[in-house]
Amino acid sequence: MTRPVYVAGAGAHPWGKWPAKPQLQLALEAITAALKDAALSWPDLQGLVAASSRFEGGMGWGLHANEIVQAVAEQGMTCVNVGGACAAGAIAFQTAYAMIASGQHDVVCAVGAERMPKGFIPRPPGSQDDITDSDYLRWVAMGATNPAYWGIEARRRMHEFGTSEETLAKATVLMRRNGAGNRNARFRSETSVEEVLASPMVSDPLHLLEICAVSDGAAAVILCSADYAKSAGNKLVEVAGCAAATGQFGDPARRVPTVSSTVRPGVAHTSEVATAVARACAMAGIGPEDVDVLEMADNTAWHILAWPEQFGFYEPGKGDWMLDHGKLAIDGELAINPSGGFLSFGEATTAQAVLQICELTWQLRGQAEGHQVPGARVGMSAVLGLGANGGSVILKA
Amino acid sequence: MNGAQGASVAVADGLFEVQPDGPHLIGSRCASCATIYFPVALSCRNPRCAEKRIEPALLPNRGSLISYTIQRYQPPPLFRMDNWEPYAIGLIDLGAGVEVMGMLTGLQFDAILIGMPLRMVVETLYTDTTRGAVATYKFAPAASGPGASGPAETGDAL
Repeated sequence: MTRPVYVAGAGAHPWGKWPAKPQLQLALEAITAALKDAALSWPDLQGLVAASSRFEGGMGWGLHANEIVQAVAEQGMTCVNVGGACAAGAIAFQTAYAMIASGQHDVVCAVGAERMPKGFIPRPPGSQDDITDSDYLRWVAMGATNPAYWGIEARRRMHEFGTSEETLAKATVLMRRNGAGNRNARFRSETSVEEVLASPMVSDPLHLLEICAVSDGAAAVILCSADYAKSAGNKLVEVAGCAAATGQFGDPARRVPTVSSTVRPGVAHTSEVATAVARACAMAGIGPEDVDVLEMADNTAWHILAWPEQFGFYEPGKGDWMLDHGKLAIDGELAINPSGGFLSFGEATTAQAVLQICELTWQLRGQAEGHQVPGARVGMSAVLGLGANGGSVILKA
Repeated sequence: MNGAQGASVAVADGLFEVQPDGPHLIGSRCASCATIYFPVALSCRNPRCAEKRIEPALLPNRGSLISYTIQRYQPPPLFRMDNWEPYAIGLIDLGAGVEVMGMLTGLQFDAILIGMPLRMVVETLYTDTTRGAVATYKFAPAASGPGASGPAETGDAL
């Protein structure tokens, strides 16, 4: 009923702080790069799916795709704008995938572009100031910033598994070592355990260098049917699995921006992402053991240790050993974030999940200059967005 | 039911209610599947609960510390606190399947221990020119294990 879908092009604007470039320009540069990579041009595009930003642009309605085509190619193409907070890029990819798999279109672009406000991400406008809105309550009642939630998770992990401050710091050291080789990363210098532990404490036990910064950036991928993919001339990269999911009742995660959890035994932590990963694996007919490279959302060093465990890559508590023994490095058993991850890029929320898929595409083609995983054939992305949004994509070369 | 008593009002209306055994958070309970929610819920979220009969409920006001962090930097302006200084935020298991986050009080940072018994108190966060003293809920060390009714060690008497 569905037909195979391929990633024919990938393009990104480097991450950083770009105050002189409007968000729209970042998006255009990413799309232009992706089209060039796919050996296609604007008239070939039949659809554009944008991960809608909540911070700026989009004519106030999140109409980022419409804004883009009105700026560069008015040709009647289908525009879809999707929400999903920090997972919006994965939802955009999922949507573009379905448009091609269904046979409705042959060439569709998924794009995410973001310029982030400085500092702790504040509450967005538009909700009522009352107790039924958790994102109001968490601020007025206790001033819980996003890193506070991750600090609570990290402290609990230290209690349960004996994770040390040094091991948490090593996760940052690994990400920054990977990012040093990636021209699209914002932070291109390596760091050390000593330097990480000497950086200011933000939300105990997490130091500044163990928490992702906020950045500006944009990424785009061109998805297409088999005929178009073959004519692009790149090594073929097929979408083997692709899933979006929401949370399960009873999930113990301390989920931003809620102030309570209704916990039930046996429910996966961060279940929205765990479910997306499981569905993507089922669709691809593989298990986590088949994955060569994982691009996952490392909002903090804790995520590097905890997430692969939560998604069944190995048993809970083993992440420390894996990291300490080099198993998560570019030449290790499971390369995690050879790109350098959020800790080297900073998060440009809605663009992040699209960038993950760009990175996987380059890895599977053998084009990840400076951070290539040797012989990578299966790549997986995993991302989490506010509102219990989980997304995962599996690509195969 | 705005939690106000004496000179204090709550940071958000309907946040807590003072009972003879101390203040309690106001949440919801599903009369059908017994799930407890905080803050008040519009519906039961249990997908297997068909009836979803939600009603107001007071949460347990004692529990144990699951984990914590220390907020070292001042949060964005929606959070107000007179004489700001770093404070601890805890995650507290109140029993009955509900875990709640809240500020910790009456504890030196190095005396915070996972597993320690805590009880809920109400304390003034800031004084507003029109609203007067504005209070939030916090968790303080309990004299002994859950269920004990210790003296009021800390907090504004409400």
